[in-house]
Amino acid sequence: MREQPSNTGETGGTDRVRLSCVVNGEKVSALVEPHLTLLSFLRQELKLLGVKEGCGEGECGACTVIMNGNAVNSCLTLALEAEGARILTVEGLSNGGGLSALQEEFVKHDALQCGFCTPGMLMSARALLDRNPDPGTEEIKEAVAGNLCRCTGYYPILEAITAAAKREREGEQR
Amino acid sequence: MYLPDFEYYQPNSLAEACRLMAKFGPRARILAGGTDLLHKMKHGQLEPEVIVSLNGLERLREITYQKGVGVVIGARATHNDIAGSALLQEKYRSVCEAAHHMANNQIRNVGTLGGNIVNAVPSADLPPILIALGASVKLAGSQGRRVLPLEEFFTGVHSSVIEPDEILTEVIIPDQPSTGSTYIRFGLRRSGALAVVGAAVAVTMEGETCREARIALGAAAPVPMRARQAEAVLKNQVITPDLLEEAGVCAARECSPRSSIRGSEEYRRDLVRVLTRRALQKAIKEGHV
Amino acid sequence: MSQEYAVIGKSVPRKDGWDKVTGKAKYTGDLKFPNMLVGKILTSPHAHARILSIDTSEAEKLPGVKAVITHEDVPSLKYGISPARWDENIFCIDKVRFVGDKVAAVAALDEETVYKALKLIKVEYETLPAVFDPFEAMREDAPLVQEEYPRNINTEIHQNFGDVDKAMAEAYYVRTDRFKGQRTYQSPIEPHSAISIWDKDKLTIYSSTQSPHYFQYYIAREFGLPMGNVRVLKTHIGGGFGGKLEPTGLEFAGAVLSKLTGRPVRMFYDREDMFAHNRGRHAQFMELTTGVDKDGKILAVHANFVMDGGAYTSLGVASAYYAGALLTIPYEFDNYKFDMYRVNTNLPACGAQRGHGHPQPRFAFESHLDNIAKELGIDPVEIRLRNARKSNTTTPNEFKVETCALTEALEKARDLSGWREKKGKLPSGRGIGIGVGSFVSGAGYPIYRTDLPQASAVIKVNEDGSEATLYSGSVDIGQGSDTVLCQMAAEAMGYVYEKMRIVSADTELAPHDFGAYASRQTLMSGAAVKQAGEEIKTQLLAIAAPALGVRAEELDCREGIIFVKANPEINRTFGEAAREFFVKKGPLVGRGVYHVPKLGGKFKGAAVGTSPAYSFAAQVAEVEIDEETGEVKIAEVWDVHDCGKVINPALLHAQVHGAFYMGMGESVWEQVLFDAKGKIINANLAEYRLPTALDMPRLHSDLVDTVEPNGPWGVKEVGEGATTPVMGCISNAITDAIGVRIDSLPLSYEKVWRASKERKRNTSGE
Repeated sequence: MREQPSNTGETGGTDRVRLSCVVNGEKVSALVEPHLTLLSFLRQELKLLGVKEGCGEGECGACTVIMNGNAVNSCLTLALEAEGARILTVEGLSNGGGLSALQEEFVKHDALQCGFCTPGMLMSARALLDRNPDPGTEEIKEAVAGNLCRCTGYYPILEAITAAAKREREGEQR
Repeated sequence: MYLPDFEYYQPNSLAEACRLMAKFGPRARILAGGTDLLHKMKHGQLEPEVIVSLNGLERLREITYQKGVGVVIGARATHNDIAGSALLQEKYRSVCEAAHHMANNQIRNVGTLGGNIVNAVPSADLPPILIALGASVKLAGSQGRRVLPLEEFFTGVHSSVIEPDEILTEVIIPDQPSTGSTYIRFGLRRSGALAVVGAAVAVTMEGETCREARIALGAAAPVPMRARQAEAVLKNQVITPDLLEEAGVCAARECSPRSSIRGSEEYRRDLVRVLTRRALQKAIKEGHV
Repeated sequence: MSQEYAVIGKSVPRKDGWDKVTGKAKYTGDLKFPNMLVGKILTSPHAHARILSIDTSEAEKLPGVKAVITHEDVPSLKYGISPARWDENIFCIDKVRFVGDKVAAVAALDEETVYKALKLIKVEYETLPAVFDPFEAMREDAPLVQEEYPRNINTEIHQNFGDVDKAMAEAYYVRTDRFKGQRTYQSPIEPHSAISIWDKDKLTIYSSTQSPHYFQYYIAREFGLPMGNVRVLKTHIGGGFGGKLEPTGLEFAGAVLSKLTGRPVRMFYDREDMFAHNRGRHAQFMELTTGVDKDGKILAVHANFVMDGGAYTSLGVASAYYAGALLTIPYEFDNYKFDMYRVNTNLPACGAQRGHGHPQPRFAFESHLDNIAKELGIDPVEIRLRNARKSNTTTPNEFKVETCALTEALEKARDLSGWREKKGKLPSGRGIGIGVGSFVSGAGYPIYRTDLPQASAVIKVNEDGSEATLYSGSVDIGQGSDTVLCQMAAEAMGYVYEKMRIVSADTELAPHDFGAYASRQTLMSGAAVKQAGEEIKTQLLAIAAPALGVRAEELDCREGIIFVKANPEINRTFGEAAREFFVKKGPLVGRGVYHVPKLGGKFKGAAVGTSPAYSFAAQVAEVEIDEETGEVKIAEVWDVHDCGKVINPALLHAQVHGAFYMGMGESVWEQVLFDAKGKIINANLAEYRLPTALDMPRLHSDLVDTVEPNGPWGVKEVGEGATTPVMGCISNAITDAIGVRIDSLPLSYEKVWRASKERKRNTSGE
């Protein structure tokens, strides 16, 4: 396999391509096949197994990560589209050894049961709060409407996000 | 799920992108977001050998006002770019609302205007409101550029006038006399549901009189369609509730929805009636919303 | 003591919370083993076809492919979760019976190769006439799905209690209504996955399973292994709801592939495979005839049902019995007749989904009862109060109900919801409805015949007393049983919740338990855990007594402190005494076991529906209908539950929310749909519409207190019972809003639109 900087023109092909991006604050560089999804890249190459595949077709939201500030389905994003991007996954949410306010509130409000949707749900919530520190209930619902949860009936999740937003507004570190 | 192999190019100029498309022709597909393309590829519905990503063309994401031209929306603008655009919020909030209520947040962050149009799906949410507002699309190809009304772009389900070497680069909403516009979609749940029917209208009101109305329907025919008979009902008429209902009835009569998993032909037709009437009411009363 | 209990009754944080919010929680598909292969099953594209030949040679040649197997490579012994009808093979031998039936499997180095290899397997089929409708399937000339079931009747039930004919003849009003329940799918967010490791004579399987025990039993049987040579365990599991209770084929195929290659094999389903494998809720056709007196008191009920079972039995025998058995629980009446045909068709097999066979019949009955109430001019709450079961009663089909606070629940739901102020007075387009529900707190008998106890538990206190570990075969599928059982253990031991650890759902490390189904674990696993905890406490108090200068009987232990009951100032710590125990006597271990007392009558099928205890619920929903479009909005819901003593209120209300959510989806949004050739056309989460956060209403979950003598500390179930009232409740609310009854689920927008339109047409024509 030959290594290339990136496929800007004639040099394209099915060969592996160099991908450089920042994942959870760390610079990452790897050779990836063009058809690798961001989901597979994060799970297989970086072993970030908190990123879940629930459907693989952009409908459940379990694979949600934050790319350049936006919540996206990593299953419908090519890894190569993340060139130069900042990626945040659930593994990047904790500060040091402790839980962030958002994570803590999820636990406190029983905003999870089986937990399979939780990483994606947390990322949608994180992206929302980064954009809007004081969201109303409808805004929260809209932000997580692309994350299907089969267990909770969503209300505990809405309550957890509301509580986390309040704590963050009151100056608590994320 | 598994994505088949392909060659991948990410050109850093539009010219290069056009050249690649000219070179590979029907073997290539444009990736502009990919929420639809990759989905179809995973299901084996599309098997492009080459993918040309527009990810490097940041300028195609811009939403600007050009004097004498109108609002120009780059084809790579995402649905959330459109929903959140201050310019569009001010001039045509109806377009923002249409973008905001489709799919779900993750898809809206990635899916693009260009993709929504070029896929040529009958239920797409942006074409109806853009057609109602008289928008044009600009296509760039290896042989040059052309501009045509969006209304003339679609030729059938998954088909349009775009040539294999062409790339949709922008959508232009011209300056216009319309006083109000809106798009109402009807989906089978409140998020992540394709439109069963969508009705977009743009109206030009003078007092109580409707000088002109443009009505465009989604998922009511193989392509987004103008409801011209319904428009004629309203032209130069004083607006009354009965007249709006008549326009709705007319639109329901002239559309040609099909029965599908999401609704019977009969149901869709009646939804066209209701949504057309409601959209007219809203646009007349509330402006561009 | 200020409070009766120290640990139970409190909303302690979940044991698995930290892992699940950090991404550390590993699910089966996240596990990595050295040299592991990945595998997938090839399924049938035809609903009914003879297999003429299978050519795997091209697939085998593909670089990276390590094994390709068909029926020739696996045992031909038939299996099935219902012992009465073993009718599944690991791979189809002679013919395929539905689109998705299993034909072959591949193991390869990576997923990409697996998908490519599957495409290279050439199967030649001769298509056969197929049948997709249970009524057509029962015709003499219908193609047979399974040769051994004449007229495709897989299960036939005729039960008759009391004198239905006489009671009907004497009734003031007799009404017959017909309803239809649709096929739905559990749709857990985690797709099924299993890792099989066949190492010498030992087969270890990590699986996303609700019951390691049943998997172990059936896998051992299939391969002729002693059960001890098969270890089944799970890590975290991303939801089950009944769909992960039986072996899926991933385990069987993976085991064989592992044996052949000598390597671990991870098998997985995609979302589409999950739908095709299915085992969701049966489509059910329900005719109900009820006779009442002039006050609306139920005198007799005849339930005459047909179920579409799909191609195999799965848990369907139990589903069929449950459908009728539990209809007798919430309301008191003496005369009851139940007829049922469960019919095979060339569709994916149906099984147990949250509430098992009961939610649809409950929907039908609650709708039917409202129809009766309307006819007699009785308020829907009132007719339910007049018929509500009381404590210490027995149903006509011989289920003993010791505690039942349905009356109190109905009154509370009525008052909380403002029923009196709203019923009949809501503005146009709004409606209010009520439904009741109930469920078993664990099935009285296991799925296959055995004298094994229902549950057992071991608690081992760490040598220095600083922690204790509960070993339980119970299965936490997200409902929180690990948390609740640790609370129960700590309470019984006199210990601290935070210091409890748990090893569960592992057939090797944890003692036997049948697992997570039939809402059994809080009561049954809990009973075993309580006994184990009490055994710890007894031993500990005995060893602690001399140092405190009293007899053991004078001591108690609570929250880690052993104290003299008469003078709590005299005390010592649990940890210190536990250490002393270890030094003197070795490991401090407590054991517990739970057997269900003999329950039920002697008639055929008497076992299904038996339980030590039954939960009850009353639920009120308010809906908003857009009559022009048919759009349904569930506006607000009030649920009042009688589920005995509550161990963890937060987890309990979480179950009510989740169960309501699932029932709500089934009420309006969800349905598995097929094309004319039996292929599912919405095997995805776009067109199989689970409600989103935007669709979910505010739900008020409340309780009435009971203490169930048959449950540890008085507990009963909540997880499944909370699904049972929902569809009837929403149906009644929608009927109230639009003035006309829709008799088939789901109450989709289009059906509501159509019904509203027809009603308008009829009323304007009058």
